[in-house]
Amino acid sequence: MLVEMLKKEWLESARQGQLGWVGITLLILLLAALASGWYTSSEQQSLYQDVTNAERHRWLHQGEKGPHSAAHYGVYVIKPSSHLSVLDPGLSEYQGKVLRLEAHKQNDSLFRPSQDSIAMQRFGQLSPAFVVQMLMPLLIILMGHALLAAERQQGTLRQLLASGVSTAKLMMAKGGTLYLTTMLFAAPVLLFALYSQVTASQGQGGRTLLFISGYSLYLFIWCALTLLLSSWMRTPRQALVWLLAIWAVSSLLLPRLAMTSATDQFPIQSGREFAAKLESEIYTPERLQAIQEFKQNTLQAHGVSSTDELPFDWSGAQLQFGEQYSDQVFDRLYGQRAVLLNKQTDAYQSAAVLSPFIALQSVSMAASATDLRHHQLFEDAAEQHRRVMQATLNNYQRDHAKQSQGAFQAGQSLWEQIPAFSFSYPRIGPLLGHYLTPLLSLATWALLLLIALCFAARRLQKEML
Amino acid sequence: MKRLVVKYELLNLRREKLLLLLFAASSLFAVLAFYNGYRFSQNQALAVTAAQQEQQTANNTIRQGLAERQARQGPLNWWDDKHDLRGQAFYLMVNYATKAPLPTAAIAVGQADIQPYFFRMLVTEKQHVLHQYDYTHPLALLLGQLDLAFVIIYLLPLLLIGACFNALSEEKQSGQLRIMMLQGISPATLVAAQILVRAGAVMVPFLLISNLCLWLFSPGITFISLLIFSLLVLLYTGFWLALTAWVISLGKNAANNAARLVTAWLGLVIIVPAVLNILIMTLNPSPSRLVYVDQMRSHTDKVNQQAAQTLANFFQDHPELAKTGTATNDYATSKIAKILAVEQAMQPFDDAFVKVLHKQNQQAGWLKHLSPATLLHAALIDLAGNGQLRHQAFMQEVQQHHQKLQTYFASRIALAAQNGDFAPCSGCNARVTLADASDIPVFSSQASLLPIPYGAMLMLVLLIVLLTFASTKALSKMHQAQSQTVLV
Repeated sequence: MLVEMLKKEWLESARQGQLGWVGITLLILLLAALASGWYTSSEQQSLYQDVTNAERHRWLHQGEKGPHSAAHYGVYVIKPSSHLSVLDPGLSEYQGKVLRLEAHKQNDSLFRPSQDSIAMQRFGQLSPAFVVQMLMPLLIILMGHALLAAERQQGTLRQLLASGVSTAKLMMAKGGTLYLTTMLFAAPVLLFALYSQVTASQGQGGRTLLFISGYSLYLFIWCALTLLLSSWMRTPRQALVWLLAIWAVSSLLLPRLAMTSATDQFPIQSGREFAAKLESEIYTPERLQAIQEFKQNTLQAHGVSSTDELPFDWSGAQLQFGEQYSDQVFDRLYGQRAVLLNKQTDAYQSAAVLSPFIALQSVSMAASATDLRHHQLFEDAAEQHRRVMQATLNNYQRDHAKQSQGAFQAGQSLWEQIPAFSFSYPRIGPLLGHYLTPLLSLATWALLLLIALCFAARRLQKEML
Repeated sequence: MKRLVVKYELLNLRREKLLLLLFAASSLFAVLAFYNGYRFSQNQALAVTAAQQEQQTANNTIRQGLAERQARQGPLNWWDDKHDLRGQAFYLMVNYATKAPLPTAAIAVGQADIQPYFFRMLVTEKQHVLHQYDYTHPLALLLGQLDLAFVIIYLLPLLLIGACFNALSEEKQSGQLRIMMLQGISPATLVAAQILVRAGAVMVPFLLISNLCLWLFSPGITFISLLIFSLLVLLYTGFWLALTAWVISLGKNAANNAARLVTAWLGLVIIVPAVLNILIMTLNPSPSRLVYVDQMRSHTDKVNQQAAQTLANFFQDHPELAKTGTATNDYATSKIAKILAVEQAMQPFDDAFVKVLHKQNQQAGWLKHLSPATLLHAALIDLAGNGQLRHQAFMQEVQQHHQKLQTYFASRIALAAQNGDFAPCSGCNARVTLADASDIPVFSSQASLLPIPYGAMLMLVLLIVLLTFASTKALSKMHQAQSQTVLV
């Protein structure tokens, strides 16, 4: 019986010609977004390799020079893309991709692609994630708002139930067809996620699983919500208006409101203020005093009265002390900013309770490693690399400069001691704690809607009796 | 008779409590959106004022600390010395180029949250100066701001569609239309009355509140700016109302009208702009910033390796600075020569970005006519001073200012080096070479002209006229058909 009903619903959906072109348009958009994302990503990947190799070659072959000159010469490191970023570029367009690692400075990443774009980009980037998160629910609404409401309005619902079909089975058949159709439209994205897993580095299976289950749950939520309202409302018109209102509020209005409220609650300083604060807190009389104390302590420890008598090069030791002093200020100020930014993210994610869009968007960006938290992981790793680099160069100068005659110079053997920067995104498992609210919200939405559908089926049965 | 129809419609709306709902939603959106846009522009204005104050304070410190510096005996590194031209030029200078928000900025944040609006200037490669940006949560950039432009472009059409989609069709379905026609009311009159009354409930509070807020809280805003803003809003919403009337005139039921109008909204506000964006970006891809970094590094290396040649080229280009041979050994002059050489080498790469962006903007300028949403968006962000036009002008002024600063410091540093000011004797401090910072060039920006978007307004008027004409024709056909049925 259930199979028969599924067939009937499938046939009816197929007959709805007016929806056909909407679905096909959406599918074309999805495929275009996928093709464009894949092309851009493969081009970026090849450039990433070339430029990373060129930068490493430059570092190794910079010639003979003082270690501190090399520290100022620095290196540029590039943020890699994850295997799922083709599907959800997330915040990639709004975060820098390149970071300069140099002496005395912790830098922010450079070159946000959005700065090289036109104003029209603000309407949304046509990515597979955009199509599924934003547009697919509209397709579901258009396909499903009349499923039960129309049957009720036309009086065919009573006839159907009179033939012995239970409302639960009827809703299961209608809901099942709706979900199946939706999943067919979303299939290119989900299949691509599986395919990209093949090329991904080991341990990234969790991300693919999270991505696929997140989207499957999200589409289920919209199907269930559509069916629920279609069963509640007297007419398809009422169902359509309510569903569209819910979509507009949850996908358009709430995300903006939530982010505005988050940035209001936890404001961060402007870039100018932050830079001025960094400068004023590093280059202080206290710093000069700390260097002086360090000098006195070092002289005392070695039982000498001047730095020239020390068994090592004082300038190298002083440079490293200065770096460590600055690092403490960087840790404090950048740390404070990171805490505020993460609080903004958490406040935004807490609105996932009200909006499945926010929940999925957060989960999807997490799985694709394209959110702020993953960007911070890259920046933290790069900063650690910078510190290792500075310590290696300064300590080398401290330990070897004393023996040299004239200006001290180091060569390739020192440059080789600093490993090439390598960063790969961690497994998603240990990071899941940061995404509990959106994950739980998605699960709760799905569960609550399932329960509501059960009640709706019983209510419908009673109503028709 | 028309008055009667309007009265009947108002009564209907009051009965359904729709009037109050529309009024409340529209007022709430206007207040919320204005507040957000205003708060954003105020934050930028505060940052600009703070930058100017910081610059003033730094200049005062130079003046006030002069006596102490002149009396100083202990060693002083030139890179820590506020009174040394080199220290100022390369590390210490507090000199900002800023773009203050216009009084109309609260209308549309546009690109203002992405594009930089202040630059701290130093004598360094302009490629390093021009790529600073303010730090904000990237998610806020992805989502965009909840400003007046967002409400007008996205939400007002939805409110209008929600309020008007069942106009006429309800009366037609219930049979009331025939009775009305017997009383001499044509479908066109009924549709017009219904749509205008319902739209009024949305538009009157929205326009009143947004204009009042702009007038009260944005000092310096002109009447003409408010007039252009109101006209743009009215024409855009006019388009949606005309489209609604046309869909209604096709004579389908209310659910069908709603589905068609929502599909049109989805197409024109979400899909077409996103497709146009990807189309423009695919047809004119921006050069890679990774390649840019790579080139910048290569050219910097090349310039450093050919330091002597670079300096010789510099003096060849600036013979006025090469009066004596002493300057050639000067570190600062050599550094400036290298900076200029790197800038020159990188110019083709910078030009490539500008060229592509120009092409993208040119195509966007044409293609925006395909959707009223993109048309209005461009007009509103230009009116708010947060669009590409004003930003490009600002960036040109920033580059000119940077060049002025380089020229200022290059000539003075060369002169000071020739005078031996940087090394008056072995082991002693450099002489004071910057006693007063007041003659260092200060950034000034030319006031931009108020852009009047004649093209957008004309296009919207044209669309409204066409749709109104088509719906009037369809409604008169419906009138004839219904009249015959009534007669039968």
